[in-house]
Amino acid sequence: MQKSGKSWVSPWLSGSVPVLIVAAIPALIFVGVLLYFTGWALMFSFTNLELYGRKATEWSFVGLDNYERLFTRRGFLESLWTTLNFTFFSAIIGQSILGFTLAAVLRNMYGGVRSVLEVSLMLGWLLPDIVAAFLWSATTSKTGLVNQLIVIPLGMEPVNFLNDYALPVVILANIWKGTAWSYLLYSAALDNVSKEVVEAAKVDGANAWQRTRRVILPIIKPHIGTNLLFITIWTFTYFPLIYALTGGGPGSKTEVLSIFLYKQSFGIGKLGYGSAISVAMLVIVGVMSLFYLRLLKEPE
Amino acid sequence: MMNKSRTLNIALAFMAVIWVSPFAWLLSTAVDPIATGQLRFPKELGLNNFAQALTGESLLQLWNSLFIAGGTATLTLVVASGSAYALSRLKIPGRNAFLWSLVLLRMLPPTGILVPIYFAAQSVGLLNNVGIIVALTVLNLPFAMLLLKNFFDTVPVELEEAAHVEGASLATILRRVVLPMSKAGLAVVWFFTFTSAWNEFLFPLLFSRTEDAFPMSMGLYSAFGRNGSIQYGFLAAFSIIYATPAVAVYFLLRRNMNTGFAGVGVKG
Repeated sequence: MQKSGKSWVSPWLSGSVPVLIVAAIPALIFVGVLLYFTGWALMFSFTNLELYGRKATEWSFVGLDNYERLFTRRGFLESLWTTLNFTFFSAIIGQSILGFTLAAVLRNMYGGVRSVLEVSLMLGWLLPDIVAAFLWSATTSKTGLVNQLIVIPLGMEPVNFLNDYALPVVILANIWKGTAWSYLLYSAALDNVSKEVVEAAKVDGANAWQRTRRVILPIIKPHIGTNLLFITIWTFTYFPLIYALTGGGPGSKTEVLSIFLYKQSFGIGKLGYGSAISVAMLVIVGVMSLFYLRLLKEPE
Repeated sequence: MMNKSRTLNIALAFMAVIWVSPFAWLLSTAVDPIATGQLRFPKELGLNNFAQALTGESLLQLWNSLFIAGGTATLTLVVASGSAYALSRLKIPGRNAFLWSLVLLRMLPPTGILVPIYFAAQSVGLLNNVGIIVALTVLNLPFAMLLLKNFFDTVPVELEEAAHVEGASLATILRRVVLPMSKAGLAVVWFFTFTSAWNEFLFPLLFSRTEDAFPMSMGLYSAFGRNGSIQYGFLAAFSIIYATPAVAVYFLLRRNMNTGFAGVGVKG
């Protein structure tokens, strides 16, 4: 193709350009809709649009009222705090560190334990969210598996975990479901670390912790950045598992932003306010992404 | 040293127990016709739960899920491949930047455009399963386009040129040269979209207004969310049936990726 140089279409196709363009039109329409909706969400956030009643048709622009409400009314900031907790403990502490540890430990092992762990990690990851929610709801209920096998044999009263420890259960469920992704990514990353470098550090007398901290982690830093970028965005905006497990409750203990947004928009019907919440989420996700991207680009 | 590896093994075994026991519970509950939610060896094995999960309302939900997932996957594939081939062959300046910015836009939470999607669907009367298909296609399209464009890029233009010189029409070339060589890529996109639509919960929650329109995600959610007597055996069997396609697709694709991805290109 070097011969045709600057020409923007291969010669054999030059007669078919109109056909190709026609074939691309449906996609352009769909993409246009996506862009249009994004713009729409932005515009709605400056209105008092509601789902039901008079303001569903006779809405008007209210300036920055919705954004002001984010900070002055109860709800958003509490929900943001819950979301940050959920993201930090389930994604960054749970999935990422556990995934890395497992990848580092299991790569030197063969046989039973490794394949059992790998397969069950993968199964957890592949299960539909609602099936995972059902499993965790059933096993942590008052008559469920955890009470039957651990709490009652220890001589304690059975606990309704989803009522008393809602956020920890949701965090654990998400670690259980999502660790496979980090595990796979870190396994692939560790394959790229040359054995010679690690051996050399060993010869120089570095112990396992020092080898990990000073040799391996700097080498796979880009992978860590990529992984954290992905799982932070996913976890920050995650909806189905939490909603199906707790519905945001009890009270609003597990009401992460996606559930708060859903309830404000479609429960109470404040679509304008809901749009402002989603714009705020976009901004927060955007800032976090920039932070990770800088981590990726930083010179060694 | 001995001591250390023993601690490690105990920790690993502990983790394996945590990860495996929900599945063990699920299986033993599903084959126990009188399951109570407790972990135990079923007194008698039976597939009644599966039979129950494949009749009546739950069978209808299976069809609804198939309709939504199959419809989304097919619509996404058709729409995306038309544009991806054009994007791959026409060297329009900035096309890569365009595609990547679309994918980045899609990385942002779908909840962000939930309100406009709902509003638009409501005003054109698409608050139903067809509406779910359209909405999911809009959301899946950027990534599908990017993947397919990369696949079409690996089909050598030389082959198409050769066929053209020998007098083949565009339709023939697409059918006889491009299609066979990008089959693996098309399959990956179709199955990938199918799985994500099959697992989808948010849009059915918003769009499915009547129980006979529920896909399996909504069926399962509304069944175990109910207070009172939970039919554990039935729900476990239902869960296994619901999870099977998503799990199977992965193992199917993994083989396809190894043979398919490597096999694309000029051979010999």
